[in-house]
Formats: sequence, C-alpha cells, structure tokens
Amino acid sequence: MADSKRINKEDIGRLLDEWSKEFSVSVPSRENGMPAVLPWDGKDTSFLEWYRNTVIPPKANFFPPYEKMFDFQKEAEGYHLELPPSDKQKYLIFGIRPCDARALTMLDTVFQDTYQDPYYLSRRANTVLVGLGCTNPYDSCFCTSLGIGPGESTDVDLMFTDTGDGFFIEPVSDKGRELLAATGGVEDTLEADEARAKDVKKAAYRKIIRRVDTGDIQQRLAACFENQDYWEKVAAKCVSCGICTFLCPTCYCFDINDELSQDEGTRFRSWDSCSFPIYTRMPMENPRQEKWRRVRQKVCHKYWFYPTNLDITACTGCGRCIRLCPVNWDITQTLNNLPASS
Amino acid sequence: MTTDVSQRFLARDNVYLPHIAVIEKIIDETPGVVTLHFNFKDEKLREEFTFKPGQFGEYSVFGIGEATFCISSSPTRRDHLEFAVQRVGKVTNALHRLDVGAEMGFRGPYGNGFPLDSFTGKNLVFVAGGIGLAPLRSLIWNVIDDRDKYEKIDIVYGARSPADLCFKYDLDAWGNDSSINMVTTVDKGDASWTGREGFVPQVLEQAAPSARNAVAIVCGPPIMIRFTFPVLEKLGFTPEQMFTTLEKRMKCGIGKCGRCNIGNLYVCRDGPVFSFAQIKGFISSEY
Repeated sequence: MADSKRINKEDIGRLLDEWSKEFSVSVPSRENGMPAVLPWDGKDTSFLEWYRNTVIPPKANFFPPYEKMFDFQKEAEGYHLELPPSDKQKYLIFGIRPCDARALTMLDTVFQDTYQDPYYLSRRANTVLVGLGCTNPYDSCFCTSLGIGPGESTDVDLMFTDTGDGFFIEPVSDKGRELLAATGGVEDTLEADEARAKDVKKAAYRKIIRRVDTGDIQQRLAACFENQDYWEKVAAKCVSCGICTFLCPTCYCFDINDELSQDEGTRFRSWDSCSFPIYTRMPMENPRQEKWRRVRQKVCHKYWFYPTNLDITACTGCGRCIRLCPVNWDITQTLNNLPASS
Repeated sequence: MTTDVSQRFLARDNVYLPHIAVIEKIIDETPGVVTLHFNFKDEKLREEFTFKPGQFGEYSVFGIGEATFCISSSPTRRDHLEFAVQRVGKVTNALHRLDVGAEMGFRGPYGNGFPLDSFTGKNLVFVAGGIGLAPLRSLIWNVIDDRDKYEKIDIVYGARSPADLCFKYDLDAWGNDSSINMVTTVDKGDASWTGREGFVPQVLEQAAPSARNAVAIVCGPPIMIRFTFPVLEKLGFTPEQMFTTLEKRMKCGIGKCGRCNIGNLYVCRDGPVFSFAQIKGFISSEY
C-alpha cells in the first residue's frame, strides 16, 4: 500500500510524544481504576499490553457524563447567560476500537439531526481518531454481526494493526492522511507487512464467536412488540441499574438540570437512562412505568426505531452491556429468541 | 485545521441557550392553573419571532430548571405570547411563584404545529379536556381570526368540575359567537352549575358532529384521548381525519435527549401534533 506506514512497538511512546506537540493525546488508561480513554501522561505505554477495550466508552470524551451548558447570573438589569469558554485545543485519541469508532459515527447522526448540538460537535471537529484493531476480542463481542470488523474501520482517521513487533498504519480519512504524511519516525511498508496485517485482521475476525441475527430485525421486532409475555420474561432478571446504557458507546440519553447558589448558577446536562422509571414519568402517568416496557424500549430503539429514522443501528456489538451487566442480561439472546408474533 | 470550530459551534445559535423573556400578566384560570403572558426582552426578537399553533417551548426558571409548555396564544395576536401552567412539580411551582416583571428563559418554538393549511375549507371539530384546551385555543383563535377560510366549527370542552374549567373568558366568547357550536361540560357539577354534565367522549357522541369534510382535533388527558378516538371512529372519522397533540416528559425539546418517543416518533421533533393514523399502532401500548 502506497501510503501505509509502519512503526516499531518501542517507538510508540516517541510517536505519541510527537503528536502531543500538536494535540492533547488521550490513550486507554486504568489511572482512575476503571479503564477509560484519558489524557496520556507522557510516558506510560503499558496499555499496549493490557488493553482489550475500555469500560467507559470513548463517547465520554465527546459527551461527558456531566457537562456544563452555560452559567447564569442575576444582575441588576436582569439575567446574564454565559457559555463556557471555547476550547481551542486539538485532541487525538489513540487506540479507539472499531466498534467504538462506529458508535461515534452513529452519535454524529443524533447530534446533527435537525438541530446541531454545539458541545458534542465542536469536540468531534477538534479530534483526530487513531484506531487500533482488536487482536484479542472478548467472548461478549459481536461486532461482526453489525457489519463491523474487529480489525478494520471506516470511522477513524488512522488505523493501526498490531503485527507483533510493530504496527501497520493505514490512513483512512483525509485528516488521517495529512497527519500521517506530517508524522516523522514512521517507516515505509513492505509487502510482507501488508500481508501480515491482513492475516492479523482475519484472525481477529475469526475470534468473534457471538452472533446476533439481524436479518429482518425491524420486522421481527415489530411482529412481537405487543408480546408482553416475551418482554416480561426477557426483563425478569434486569435490576434497572442502567449500567448497560451508561456504558453503551451509542446510548446518548441525557437530562438537563440547574444548580443554584444565591443569584448565580449553572445549567448542566448529565447522562440519563431509559432503564429508570423516572426517565419518562409525568405528573399524571408514566408510559414506561413497568420494567418490561423499558427493556423493550431499549432493544427496539437500538434495532428498530433508531435505524428507521437515521439508517444506522444504535448498537455496535461492543458487548459491554453483556460483559458488565451485574445479572448477565444478554441482548443477543433477546434478539435471537424473538417470538414470531404477539 | 486553523478554524476555531468550538467557538463557531458554541457561540452561534446555541440551541440550548434560552432567550430572556419577561412576564407581563398573570391570569388565574383554576386553583392549580395560571396563564402567563410574556414578551421577549430583546426587541428584535420580539418583532421577528414567529410560530405556528400547536408548537411549544422550553421555559426556564433559572436555578430551578426547564419545563415544556405549548404556546397557548394565537400567532394572529402578536402583542404578546401566552402559556398555561398547571402546578404539578418543581418548575411549574416556581413558574407559579413568578410575579409580573420577573424574567424567565424561553427556547423555541419547537415541534411541528397543526397542519393548518390542510384544514382550509373544512369543518373543524375541537375536542378538549381540562388544560388540554391550551394548545387548541391557539389554533381556535387563529381559525377565528381567519374565519372565512373554514366551514363549521364545533367545540366540545370539558373539565372535572366547574372550578376546573380553564380559559372561561374564551368559553364565553366562543359561546357568544354565532358561527361556533360550543358545548361545555363538566364530569360533575356543583350547586351553582346549570350546564351540561358528562364525560367529554360521551358528550361528543351526543353532539355527534358530522365527519363529512371534517377534521377533529383532540387534546386532553391521555385517558380522555384514548376514549375519544373510538367515538370519532363511530361518527365516521377516519384515522387521517383525527389529530391530537401529545404530551410527554421532555428535556431537550429537539429530539436528542431521548425520552419522549412513541415508537420511532419523537413527540418533540415529529410532533407534538400527530394524526391518529400515525400513532394508532402504538397508542394502546405506549400511550
């Protein structure tokens, strides 16, 4: 490949160093106890050893769990509203997985649809995504059922493939091509490198065992939407903790609230979840008071409602909702066992 | 790479940033409901602001939060804007505590509004319960101000008790308008009530407006809406001739925060006005 490059593993620290001159670089990190994409400390590249995927999805880097929208202040002549200062920093995320990169492409559709969401979109525009193909996926992963390859991505700017002693680097977007051309310390590739990378991707693909049957999925969900028995059975063990939604790379529901002290305060938004009855509660009634309705909503939203509206599935098969669920709820089982009718 | 994108996105037309509005008048409707008249502080906006009947806004009491209400005044009467608030929660209580001259925030107008153009030349049947008259009253006044464009007007309006009837000044005005057939009912009257008693769907059935060349526009508590559609079907209205404006818990108002969906439709972005044809598949199960 003409514009692909390679780099030795021991040079990754130096590469991140070089990129840190232009970008604020973030990498997979366990610094806060729970794996997330956090600012690089300038030396530690041990994530290359332990990293399979993060617990906190990279959506948090663009759509944080808590976000100030604006401040307000009551002055003599009335209320004054103040937006947070604009962030001129350019960001680079190193190591994002193909499933999580697809999730950002999906989130772009949410935050661009009809009305532009300035907070999310400004961060997206300021960030370069450097993908890292999976070599050791979890058994909860099912990305290949969603048309995503664990080793490939069209949703990043640059793609890295672990070839053992080094990385095979492919530009994906124009932004990535520009960055790679301007990056020093990377070597031209030989045919053998490309062949090796291809083998690694194939091997990763074969390691994804779990499947979800997505054939006619919208019609199949519509057919059993009113099947209360099925949804009650599926929801029985769910404890409505919301973990599957908070840690889902595509879940984007949020709440908006105010904080006040004296005559000034902050309007902020925070992650919310369709797992909670209060999410839809109104003074007189609640359309999704029962747990089975909430579980049904989550599944149907991801595989039926969202793709109907914006032509992209709101699930990337990252498997976090299976791997990190306290009661082993499994969306693939729910989807694979849909009854044929109500 | 040199464009300051974050500045561009944040500063220009940040959809979450409310306009400052000033309360100009407060009308007590019922023991729990007030109508607030307001105007924007910014003069340019005051002149440029337009909306359609049925559209809504997100209203802020800074420090307490935002809540969703339709604009209850008519776009044909531009002197000020109105909305009606039932005291039920944190924000609505705070709105009830505002005095004339107080400032609040407003984002909007959001939502689709009523398909007014498609109502031209039709008989209009309005069916409302309680504070559900608020969005319809915007439409009704709009229609009255353009009276020649429409044929017969029937209004069936009810509340739980005489004290719960909202917009009594409108009910009087419409009752005195010979071009309108106005039927007011209460579930249960009191000692001084001499009018009709009965639930809205039943009273509608008795009034029996013709479905010929007509559309019905329904708004009220979900239970009233659920029982009204079958009555309209019995009267010969097709699902395409029946419209309602729905209420759901909302936060963003612009189709992003997630909670107000009925199936793939968002009440805030695709509604709040729907034909019964659009939502009948979901209405039994999610509404």
